[in-house]
Amino acid sequence: MTDPAIRTGDLRKRYGDVQALDGLDLTVDHGEFFGLLGPNGAGKTTFINTLVGLVHKDSGTAEVFGFDVEDDYREVRDRIGLAPQEFNVDRFFPIIEVLEHKAGYHGIGSEEARRRAEDALKTVGIWEKRDTRFDWLSGGMKRRFVLARALVSNPDLLILDEPTAGVDVQLRHDLWDIINRMNDEGTTILLTTHYIEEAERLCDRVAIMDSGRKVEVAAPDELMARGTDTIDIGLADPPRTAPRLDVEGVTEVAIIDDGLSVTAAGGSQTAPALMRALEQQGHTVTSLDIRRASLEEVFVDLTRDDREYAEVSA
Amino acid sequence: MNKNTVQFATLVRREILRFVRRPYNTFLPPIITNTLYFSVFGVILGSRIGEIAGVSYLQFVLPGLVVLGAISDSFENASFTIFHGRWNDYIQAVLTSPMSNRSMVTAYVSASALRGIVTSLLIVGVGLVFTSVPLANPLYLVAFLLVITTLFGGLGVVGGLWASDFDYLTVMNQFILRPLVFFGAVFYSLNVLPPLWRNVSLLNPMVYMVNGVRYGMIGVTEIDPNTSLAVLTGVTVIVLAIDFLLFKRGYGLAE
Repeated sequence: MTDPAIRTGDLRKRYGDVQALDGLDLTVDHGEFFGLLGPNGAGKTTFINTLVGLVHKDSGTAEVFGFDVEDDYREVRDRIGLAPQEFNVDRFFPIIEVLEHKAGYHGIGSEEARRRAEDALKTVGIWEKRDTRFDWLSGGMKRRFVLARALVSNPDLLILDEPTAGVDVQLRHDLWDIINRMNDEGTTILLTTHYIEEAERLCDRVAIMDSGRKVEVAAPDELMARGTDTIDIGLADPPRTAPRLDVEGVTEVAIIDDGLSVTAAGGSQTAPALMRALEQQGHTVTSLDIRRASLEEVFVDLTRDDREYAEVSA
Repeated sequence: MNKNTVQFATLVRREILRFVRRPYNTFLPPIITNTLYFSVFGVILGSRIGEIAGVSYLQFVLPGLVVLGAISDSFENASFTIFHGRWNDYIQAVLTSPMSNRSMVTAYVSASALRGIVTSLLIVGVGLVFTSVPLANPLYLVAFLLVITTLFGGLGVVGGLWASDFDYLTVMNQFILRPLVFFGAVFYSLNVLPPLWRNVSLLNPMVYMVNGVRYGMIGVTEIDPNTSLAVLTGVTVIVLAIDFLLFKRGYGLAE
C-alpha cells in the first residue's frame, strides 16, 4: 500500500454557528501510530466520524488508503475498525453475538466470524463474559468490549476515540499493550486522547487540533523540544535581584531560594552558555537541574496561542 | 456465499433473531388481540349479522384482521428497529460497516416483511379455531401479503428515520395506520355505505389491501384485484426508492 492511511485536504464541516472542521489538512502514514490531541470541541470526533460516514463533510477531501470516504465508502469502511468514545453497542444480544454480527457486516462467514469473535474476546480478556449482554458488563469491560468489536474485522486502520477515558491504570496498560501489538503487526492506529502521557508514550507523531484546525504535527519529542524548559541553578552567593543574562534562548530569569530559575528554549543546549555567563559575572554555580517541558505544557501553549491568534484575527 | 450475501444475510438474521427471541413482545400480542376480535366481532356480533357477500361474518372479517396485523407488525418492526438503533446509536455498527446502503435497506425491509407474514399466519391460525379458512386464490393471497408487508416495512424505515422520540412511533401506528385500516372495509362491506362515503373510502389505500387479501382468501372482492396489486406494487417500489435515497443521504443517520 503506497497511499497514506488517511489524507485530508481543506476538510470543512459546520454545525449551525460552529465550524467543527475548518480546513483540516492531515496525513497519517501507513503503519503509523498517530495521536490526535486537542481540547473538547476541537473537532477530533467530527473528523473521525467523517472518515467512517457518520458525518457528511461540507467540502474538502478525505481519503483512507487512497479511497474517497464518500465515493468509495464501502472500501473505506472495510478497512476501518472503530472504537468510539460513546458506547454504541447492540443491547439485544450477548456480546459474542454482537461481535459475530459485526464480523458478518464485514462479509466474514459465520464460522470464521465465530472464531474471530472468540479470539477478540480472549484478546481483550473478557472471554468468560461472552454470553453476557453489554449492559451487564462493568465500565472497564465495556471499554474492552468496544476495542474487541473494533478488532473483529481485522482492520488496516484502527481508530480509537478516547479508548482509556475513565479506566483504571491496570486496564489502561492492558489496552496499551493490545494496541501496541496491533501496531507492531502493521495496523495503522489513529488515537485521540486527553491523556498527554498516553500520546507521549505510544505515538510516532501527534497532531494538535484546535477549533477544527491542525495547529501542529510532529513527533512527541520534537514537540517537547520546542517547549520552554526550566533550569534551576543553585548559586553559592544568590543575588538579591535577577541578573541580566545575554544568552540565546533565555526568556525569563527569576530569583529562587538558593539561586535562579531560568526559563529557556532547549534547556540542555542553553545550560553551558548560561553557566559561563554566570561565572563571568562572578557567581559560583553549586547545582544545576533541567526540567524539560512536558508535552502537556507544549499542548497548552500551542492551543492557547492558537486561540489568541483566532481572537486577534476575529 | 460472497461478501455481499454474507453481509445481507447477517443483518437479516440479526433482525429475525431480535423478534423471534421476544415472542411476548412480538407474537403473543397479535394472538391475544385477534382472539378477542374473533370472539367479540365474529362470534358474539357475527352470529346476529349473518352472511356478507355469501360468507359468514367471521370469514368476511378474517382477511381484514390479517391485513391489520400484517401491516401493523411489518411497520412496527422496521420503525422500531431503526429508531431504537438510532436512539441507542448501535445502528452505527451497521452504518460504519462496508454494507451498501441498498443492502441495509433491503435487509431491514425483508426482515420486517417476514415478521408481518408470520403475524398473518398466526392470525389465520387463530381464525381456524373459530371458523374454516378457505383459500380461494392462494397466489393472490401470497402476492398481496408480500407486497403489503414489504410496503409497510419500507414505510416503517421512513418512520424510523423520521422519528425523534418514541412518541412518534405510537402516533404513526395508533393515530394513522389503525384508523385507516378500521375505515378500510375490514369490518363491513363497501356496499353497505352511502355512495358518498363509498367514494371517500376508495381514497383509502387500505381498502385495496383488505379487498386483495379477501379475494385471495375467500374469493370475494369489491375492487379489481389486478389493479390493486399493480398500484400497490408501484407504490412499494416508490417507497423503497425513497428508503434507498434517505439512507444514501444519511437522513436521520448521519450529521
